[in-house]
Amino acid sequence: MSNCTVTGKRAAATTDVTMMKCCFQLGDLRRALLSLLILLCLASCAARTVNVQGSYPRPNIPAIPLVLGVYYGEGLSDFVYTELSDRGEEEYLVSSGDTHEVLFNTVLPAMFERVVVLDSLEEAAARGVDAVFVPRINEFQLGMPQKTRLDSYEVWVRYNMRLTGADGSYIADWVMTAYGKATASSFNTAERGINDAAVAALRDLASNFSLGFTGVPDVRDWLQRRLSQ
Amino acid sequence: MIIKAQHAMLSAWFKSMTSLGFLVLLQACTTTTIDEFRQGATGITSEDSVVILGRRQGAAYETRAQFVECVGERMARGSNAINVIPEQQFVDAMFPWFEPRTAPLRSEDLQALMAQPMVTEIMSGFGVRYIVWLDGQTETTSRMGSISCAVGPGGGGCFGFGSWEDDSSFEARVWDVSSATAVGTISADATGQSYMPAVFVPIPLIARVEANACSSLADQLKQFVQGG
Repeated sequence: MSNCTVTGKRAAATTDVTMMKCCFQLGDLRRALLSLLILLCLASCAARTVNVQGSYPRPNIPAIPLVLGVYYGEGLSDFVYTELSDRGEEEYLVSSGDTHEVLFNTVLPAMFERVVVLDSLEEAAARGVDAVFVPRINEFQLGMPQKTRLDSYEVWVRYNMRLTGADGSYIADWVMTAYGKATASSFNTAERGINDAAVAALRDLASNFSLGFTGVPDVRDWLQRRLSQ
Repeated sequence: MIIKAQHAMLSAWFKSMTSLGFLVLLQACTTTTIDEFRQGATGITSEDSVVILGRRQGAAYETRAQFVECVGERMARGSNAINVIPEQQFVDAMFPWFEPRTAPLRSEDLQALMAQPMVTEIMSGFGVRYIVWLDGQTETTSRMGSISCAVGPGGGGCFGFGSWEDDSSFEARVWDVSSATAVGTISADATGQSYMPAVFVPIPLIARVEANACSSLADQLKQFVQGG
């Protein structure tokens, strides 16, 4: 009997150890699953970033025989638009600074005899430019299909364009708007739709800017004075 | 005997379903109407090209690039194929003159545009003889019926009936680049009823309305620019 009891205790002890191991393994699994769940939740809750990327054709227009300095400062290079969800949480971060620089670096050399990209406004006079162009984004709006109930992603941008002399004197200051849309059913992801709508808006800006630049009253007057000298 | 009876029942059911299918298939056809209005003489040589562009100025809709591509592809194949320049290639090469906000809306605007030496040079490089402006869209109306689907442990299936009508309306305006004038307009209207009966599985019987509008318009345009 005693042997039997001992055997039974041993057996029980063995079972307890197995149970403990099993509980330990289950606990590990539970923790791992919980961590995974938290990670998935964090990933789904985090705002998605869209770095707008696109290529733009060079405009076919006669170049103005002047040297233009361009300064990509605050409000353009670092511009990031934040789209909020219905609950007020950050949903998409649309970064378009780099693609704006690509756009202006394609468009401006076709519009002017020579273009100089300035690191600061102070170096304009030393670089021998005739004028300094400073583009800036004033407002950015994004239309998402789930919010507008339309079958397209839409981007609307309002710019402030400023043209000064090399010494910083006023030449012109005007507002421009750009609009682009991309059909939602053509894209698998919202990021792709936002990107293509933004690229369409920038292309709209490029066409309107390159054809309308000499028509801005203050720019036209300055060009007449400058080119007649 | 039981097996024979079941076989006969199944056969009768299959026949009736096939008859229904054919009946509905006959109904799911498209009616296309083409109208042509000629304003001037046309003709094209093997060195000449045609560019087909979609109108995208309107806020309510824009001509789908896929439809423009479809018309272009259809004109560029078969007997008497025409050289068609892809839309995006032409618009990029002509940038910024053919963008939604800057494109010429009337043939008089084309005259002003052709006064630009850079524009004329690129047009000559492509050998563009005609510009065709496509404007239109396909709308779905008269949606009716409903289909219910259920899945259980023993399997699943759908039951019901749905139908809708598609209406395509497109207009092609042809401009002669050599004279910078409008030479004609062709319009294509196509309508068709689509059906979706569902007995266990949904059977889509789709009326190919836009595809028919594309092929009819392309064939007519091909004849038109060739002077036929």
